[in-house]
Amino acid sequence: MDKIVSRLAAVPAKSMMTGMDGEIREGGSPKTPLISIRNVSLSYGNFRALTDVSVDFYQGELVGLVGDNGAGKTTLIRIISGIIPPTSGEVYFDGEKITKFHPKKAIDLGLECIQQTIGLCDNLSVGRNYFLGREPIRRIFGLPFLDKKKIKEASAKVVHDFGLRDSVDVDDEIALLSGGEKQTFKIARAVTFRNRVIIMDEPTNHLSVRERAHVNELALQLKQQGLLVIYITHDIFQIHRIADRIVILENGRKVTDVPREAMSSEALEGIIRDGAGTPLKGRSAS
Amino acid sequence: MRAAIANLVRRHPEAITITLVVLISLTFAIATGGSWLSVGNLQSLSQLTAVLAIMAFGEAIVIATGQIDISVGSVSGIAALTFLGLAPGVGCGLALLAALVSGSLIGVINGVFVALVGIPSLLVTLGTLFLFQGIGYAVTSGFSFAASTLVRKQFTYNAFGGGTAAEINTGVIWALIILVVLQLVVFETPIGNRLLAVGGDAVSSFSRGVNVTRIKFGVFVISGVLAALSGVLDSAFIGYADGSFGVSMELSAIAAAVLGGCHLAGGRISLVGTLLGAFILRGIQSFLIILGVQPQWYVLAVGLIVVLTSLVDRTLTKLALKR
Repeated sequence: MDKIVSRLAAVPAKSMMTGMDGEIREGGSPKTPLISIRNVSLSYGNFRALTDVSVDFYQGELVGLVGDNGAGKTTLIRIISGIIPPTSGEVYFDGEKITKFHPKKAIDLGLECIQQTIGLCDNLSVGRNYFLGREPIRRIFGLPFLDKKKIKEASAKVVHDFGLRDSVDVDDEIALLSGGEKQTFKIARAVTFRNRVIIMDEPTNHLSVRERAHVNELALQLKQQGLLVIYITHDIFQIHRIADRIVILENGRKVTDVPREAMSSEALEGIIRDGAGTPLKGRSAS
Repeated sequence: MRAAIANLVRRHPEAITITLVVLISLTFAIATGGSWLSVGNLQSLSQLTAVLAIMAFGEAIVIATGQIDISVGSVSGIAALTFLGLAPGVGCGLALLAALVSGSLIGVINGVFVALVGIPSLLVTLGTLFLFQGIGYAVTSGFSFAASTLVRKQFTYNAFGGGTAAEINTGVIWALIILVVLQLVVFETPIGNRLLAVGGDAVSSFSRGVNVTRIKFGVFVISGVLAALSGVLDSAFIGYADGSFGVSMELSAIAAAVLGGCHLAGGRISLVGTLLGAFILRGIQSFLIILGVQPQWYVLAVGLIVVLTSLVDRTLTKLALKR
């Protein structure tokens, strides 16, 4: 983890490389949303996990998505990352309406989600997990075989660059890594594949105080490289220090959407603690 | 020492089975005064092993995704009846094709209900096990199909279990070809990586863009085709099939896979181990026959071995994954 931030400087973001993704106004204030959620609702039977949520996310900004347990944060990012389709409403990526929701589609669009409990298959090696879903191939008689040399070399470099134990062998099953190491590995995988959007779902769980500081620094650097970073957390004080904008969800509804400077962390905490009650009008930045 | 064992188990799950094969072979050879290792017995053993192994390979692929297919016995029965029933009329080539198609269609039925509808594989394949067993009994209703001399002379008949090549039953050659192909597909290709990933953690695989539904569906079709091929190879070797063909074979196939190092929870399989598992089961059967022991004891022996192997396997896996 110690090496993540220094390593990051050497990782060019896809958006920076192409220079075509979205528009950024002078001073870094974007005008075209990279992801636009419009009136999205999601129900599981009679239970409404999300109700009429609309929120825009812009390239080059770090958005804190905050809320209590069951607020709908994870549900929202699962929709964005294609894991579940919304019951109603629309999602736009780079101005294009998403009609097919599947994680493969999201990954192909350059969206990487680091989730708390999922993302790694314990039975696969470190190297195979690194490339799962986008395995490098070499053709033999026209048939696609795994490029094991590339898998080994690329994943070994990541393991080394991101400061995992020297004893970690990329051929070992990932189950042998500790919780913190797995989290670091997921972050490393998300960063090194040159994405446009990084979603971090409670990324500092399982991490030490020092490692948390590094993750936060990493989120800032990704933003500076032009990526959209959506950072999900319970910790309003932590996210208030680094985010450009804070979006608060409560009981599946968006209750607050403000630039960081507009409200203090204490005031935002009050909203989460006391419940919404107050209409969104007057709290919204937009 | 512990680290060395852990590493061996982690990298080569079939290591336990190989050790068992060596020990069992030595014990059986000594106990039967060499009869168990005679050329005749080994030839018979290899044919029996091949037929079971092909069915067990399909089972192993299904187990790799965390599912189970207990319909394979019935599938092999239907395929055997289709093959021997149609061969005199349409020729062995078309009869073989029809048998394989019937197996794949049963696989499609299993796959649709498991992968698309979401019913647990145990329930679905239990249903198709009985359904097609019933169809087998109903279609034959007391009579059986036997290969005529004309059918036995056909090339396809001999190439698919009815004949030999260099004194080896052609079924054995098919088993080895399928082993090599599946070994490459499962462990050396992207689709194999995703197949194992689905068995390890279907939700995580899906989050990485893996098409979990397609993989779960596909393994049942593969299992159906392999079970059908197994039925064809066995029926061509015996030259006879009735409504009871393939009954209880599914249990031996599952036992061979488990014995070979396949984890029923999914994600970890060994195809070489599965072949060896089939060899052990058939080896015990032939050992008991040579000793003149009642065949019923074979079932008891298989049960004991599966339970003991699972116990050893569980212990060693825990050891292997201990940090």
